[in-house]
Parts: sequence; C-alpha cells; structure tokens
Amino acid sequence: MADIVASIAEILESSAVGEWMRMSLRAMPVVEAIHVLSAAVVFGTILIVDLRLLGVPSTRRAVTRVHEELVRLTWAAFGVSVVTGLLMFAPNATTYFRNAAFGFKMLSLLAAGANMAIFEGRTFRSVTAWDRDVPAPFAARAAGALSILIWGGVIFFARWIGFTKGYDFAVPDDVNFSFPAQ
Amino acid sequence: MLELAEWLQTTPVSVTIQSVQWVIPLLQSIHILMIGVVFVSILMIALRVLGRVRADETFEAVWRRFSPWMWCGLVVMALTGLVLIVGEPVREVTALSFWLKMTLIAAVVICTIVFARTVKPAAGAADPSFSFATKAAAVAALVVWIAIVFLGRAIAYDAAVWGSWSPSA
Repeated sequence: MADIVASIAEILESSAVGEWMRMSLRAMPVVEAIHVLSAAVVFGTILIVDLRLLGVPSTRRAVTRVHEELVRLTWAAFGVSVVTGLLMFAPNATTYFRNAAFGFKMLSLLAAGANMAIFEGRTFRSVTAWDRDVPAPFAARAAGALSILIWGGVIFFARWIGFTKGYDFAVPDDVNFSFPAQ
Repeated sequence: MLELAEWLQTTPVSVTIQSVQWVIPLLQSIHILMIGVVFVSILMIALRVLGRVRADETFEAVWRRFSPWMWCGLVVMALTGLVLIVGEPVREVTALSFWLKMTLIAAVVICTIVFARTVKPAAGAADPSFSFATKAAAVAALVVWIAIVFLGRAIAYDAAVWGSWSPSA
C-alpha cells in the first residue's frame, strides 16, 4: 500500500502539473489562497452542524434542515480543497509523502471521515426522534464535539507543514521565521 | 515605518514570538480557523439577504444567530493577527499585500457597522425582500472578504505576486 502511494507521489512530482507548480511564480500563492478559503468554508459549515448537534445556540431549528441547507456547500468546498491540495502536493510529492505533519493531517482527515461515516450511517438514522426541540442523543453530541476537535487538528497540522518546508517535521532551533513561509 | 518595524523586531516580546517555535504556527492555525467562523457567518447573512438560505426565518433571527460569531471571530483574528505582526513586523510593513489587506478590512468593517445601524433595523418585517442595492452590497462584501484572504496569503509571496510594486522587491 505504502509502495503504491509512493509511486503515485513520484508520478505526480514528475508530471507536467507538478513541474508547472514548481516553476510558476504566482501559481502557488493563488492555489494556497483558494485552499485556505475552501478549507475555511468546510470548517465553518461543518461547525454550524456540529454546534446544532450540541444544541448551540438552541434546538429550535431542525437538525435535518440545518444539515440539508449546508451539506452541498460543504462537499463543494471539500472538492475544491482536494483539487487545490493535490496541486500543492504535486510539486514536492515525494518529500510531503515522508513529512510527519502531512501524515498527521491525512490521519486526522481519515478520523474526520470515520466520525462522519459512523454518524451518518448509524446515529443519524434515528434523527426523527430528536430532530428539534429536544437534546440530541449522546452519540450525536459526541460526534459533533469530536468533529470540531478533529477539523481543528486538520487545520493545525496543515499549517504546520509549511513550517517544515515539506522536508522534516522538526523545525531547526535557529529557524528564522522572517523569510517567506511556504 | 520601517525603522519602527526594525526596532519592534528587536524587542524582547517580538524575539520571544520569533524564537518559541510553536507560537507562530499555532496563531496562524487559530487565525485560519477564525476565517472559517467569520467568512461562513458573513456567507450565511449574505445568502439570507439574497433569499438563498433560511428564508423561513426572519432576517433579524439570522442576524442574531450569526453576527455575534462574526464579531467575536473578528476580534480573535485581530488579536492573533496583532501578535503575528509583532512577531514579524518587517515582513508585514514591507509587503504591499499587507497594506492592501488592512485597507480592505477597515473598509468592509465600517460598511458592516453602517449596514447594522441603518439597513438592518428597516428589515424588521417578517419577510423583508431586500433592494437590489442591498443584495449587490452583500455580494460585494463576500468578494472583498475573498480578496482579504487572498491578500493575507500573498504576504508570504509579496515580491513574486506584485513584482516591482512590492516594497520588499
């Protein structure tokens, strides 16, 4: 499995897209800004649903309604994040592949996916019983709280990758942060 | 301004921010999380002005639900941003992107306060249908916030993005 991912990383790095992202002066800041914005929309829209599961600010608005009006926006923004993320990954794919912060970020994304799958597949089935005006069951509140923590972790590890310059998790002691961080 | 930034960079508080490894990544992460809170709050309010979400709720209810998150998120962003500036003052004041970003933030925050004081009280009716001008302003606010996010990221690439227009070039 790791071998397959490693060879995909090599293909991406030697691809024309990887080459273009490495050489273009303006492509990286534009792609990164789109990635930040789409990640912010993913986090913010999921946060609204998570808070509703926790009963914040109240249980008056139906869970199904809050979920329904945001879910397409969340997935659209997630799609944009994946595409821009691949564009950022491609130019240095083989080094990111070995980067610890990048690994933690991917594990956090898997955890977020697992939390969502358990919630959507099991807990959400009984939603008609707690759709509005009553507190959601413990499993739903736990899924909401976990989701906020995990997505916070995704963004923290993602930002940390930039301070490892894609090569190493450990930041040197004498690192000078006044140069442009990638 | 540059002298001030250079002096600030040598102060103990700035040196501490620069040398404690986790401070800047952690503050930048909180700053990005708050972009999510603030941008999505504004997005929900703007989409309600356009009649695209929560049309079953009054505008007043949508404003009450999201505007406190917008203002609190903005305060956290201002505080984390301030510490980041103290940590890297020369990098900030020599970036055109930074000054453009600050100008746009000042403009959009003033416009939002004006909106809250003038347009919003008039939207007290159960089902307000906003004028074309208000809808255009809602879209403009979103565009300006998107530009602010782009400029924020561009600070790290100022010379590459702006060429000879960048003071750091």
